[in-house]
Amino acid sequence: MGTAIKAEVRKLLTTRLWWGMAIAVLAAGALLALLMASILNETPNPEQQAQGQPAMTPLQIATSTYTSGSAFGYVLLMVIGIMTIGSEYRHKTITGSLLAVPHRSRLIAAKVIALLAFGVLYGLIFLIGSVGAGATVLSIRGLEVFPEPGTLLRSLVLVLLVLGLWALIGLGLGVLITNQIAAILVGVGVAFIVEPLLGVLVSQVSWGESLAKYFPSRATNAVLQGYAQDGSTNQLSWWAGALVLIGYAAIMVAIGTFLTERRDVT
Amino acid sequence: MDGRIDVRNLSKSFGTFRAVDDLSFSVEPGRITGFLGPNGAGKTTTLRMVLGLIKPTSGTATIGGTPYTQLTHPISTVGAALEATNFHPGRTGRDHLRVIASAAGLPDSRADELLTLVGIPAAARKRAGGYSMGMRQRLGLAAALMGDPKVLILDEPANGLDPEGIRWLRGFLRHLASEGKTILISSHLLAEVEQTVDDVIIIANGRAVRQGTIDELRGEKRVRVLSPQSDRLARALSDAGLQVRPAEGGGLSVIADETAQIGEIAYRAGVPVHELHSERADLEQLFFQLTENTNRNLGDPAQGFAAPQEGGR
Ligand SMILES: Nc1ncnc2c1ncn2[C@@H]1O[C@H](COP(=O)(O)OP(=O)(O)OP(=O)(O)O)[C@@H](O)[C@H]1O
Ligand SMILES: [Mg+2]
Repeated sequence: MGTAIKAEVRKLLTTRLWWGMAIAVLAAGALLALLMASILNETPNPEQQAQGQPAMTPLQIATSTYTSGSAFGYVLLMVIGIMTIGSEYRHKTITGSLLAVPHRSRLIAAKVIALLAFGVLYGLIFLIGSVGAGATVLSIRGLEVFPEPGTLLRSLVLVLLVLGLWALIGLGLGVLITNQIAAILVGVGVAFIVEPLLGVLVSQVSWGESLAKYFPSRATNAVLQGYAQDGSTNQLSWWAGALVLIGYAAIMVAIGTFLTERRDVT
Repeated sequence: MDGRIDVRNLSKSFGTFRAVDDLSFSVEPGRITGFLGPNGAGKTTTLRMVLGLIKPTSGTATIGGTPYTQLTHPISTVGAALEATNFHPGRTGRDHLRVIASAAGLPDSRADELLTLVGIPAAARKRAGGYSMGMRQRLGLAAALMGDPKVLILDEPANGLDPEGIRWLRGFLRHLASEGKTILISSHLLAEVEQTVDDVIIIANGRAVRQGTIDELRGEKRVRVLSPQSDRLARALSDAGLQVRPAEGGGLSVIADETAQIGEIAYRAGVPVHELHSERADLEQLFFQLTENTNRNLGDPAQGFAAPQEGGR
């Protein structure tokens, strides 16, 4: 098993994908942190209040600053998850992978562990970008850089977990849709457009809010920010959100393992 | 483990299409076995079933008595090269081999050793996307040899190799077979492997049409002789204890190893000889006869199997 994991880590590190993605993750963290650190205020001016910007505690400002970019971060990790299996189908390297590790569930398990490790790695890169850029701007503006360290630190550590879980969701999607490009388009389309729209639509009906809070993006927000961005009160606690995300990842990995076990590799 | 490949009643259907149909054969250690058949005969499908990549509809395939998927050290037991395109174009040849090395628990140094062995050390740092066909074949072969396996399974290994490469491959496979390894190579060209293989398995439409040693396939050596006094010559040859029959297109066909022997018998019998040459079954012709008119991929599905025919003429 250890050898199979090492091989998966090597596969990820020996193409240009990994550092291309590292730059993208760093940029997503830094740019969103710059934006958030510049516009958020404890007491919004009248104009902002008219636009519905709520009053924020220092903790909310800091959390928002350091984690907002993770919406792009987790989509990038989902793409990495898709590509760890999608590129094997695309370039037919799946044949060689299965010759070396003929036990198919073992191959998937090795990919799962490697992706969780890469979730941590990319999470650290993300935090370097977001905390580095965000803290600089906040301190220049005279705002608190690290209020309520315990709670804030929890959010930052959970970034590492969330990114890994989204990579697993991508892995399952990549097995489900073997055409890599199609899988990426579907994954990004659902994460950025379909799911948020659906969330808004569902929230229109009376019972909708209690359903929408289980959506992946909302569960992710619950884990990272601990408060709802749109001010709605209907949000999971951070640990419930984490459990929901783990559930999604587990289901996608299970589907991926099931299909991989049964497929002919031609 | 003795490294024998055993295929028993192996069948595979893709939907309603029967790609491999009740195929049975075994491949012996210390010999090179050619697995032959025209395009679409089911060679690659069979090899992929042997390697646990395709699930058989029925039947079994084992290596040294064990199915591939249950081997404890697959890379160090069986080396396989299936297609020349199985590389990530962005990964260098060395990294490709190192990925295999780490999966198999082999030292990284194996990668460079193998690149040198197959003659492409300079390709180590080059991304596989920029490889020529021959370089891909060699990299595939290097990957197959990484674990110094006892069994080698190569799908069309000569494709894309230059004449020098083919000659090198021949010698190399001979060397490996002499070490007692089991070697199975597929090809759609009998002529390509004729000089390399000891045994042949010929399939058409997913079924075996002929199995045996290459010498059995060639049949006995014959000498053809043309004389204006055919009857007298035939009698003289029969008297000398040789088997004679009229040859197609005139003359006599005699079972004999040497033309000199026939020439001397004719000289002693005082029969003039106009033509004298040795004949061997034309294997390419034989191959064609065994597999012609039956290719389901070329339409005419109503056409049945042509019964396997004897000899090359
Ligand atoms: N995944 C698949 N789905 C449907 N049909 C398939 C599949 N794989 C192979 N076939 C069919 O099975 C038959 C055998 O294919 P196979 O690739 O084994 O032939 P081959 O002997 O290797 O031919 P070639 O010499 O061209 O490599 C072909 O008719 C092919 O179309
Ligand atoms: Mg083939």
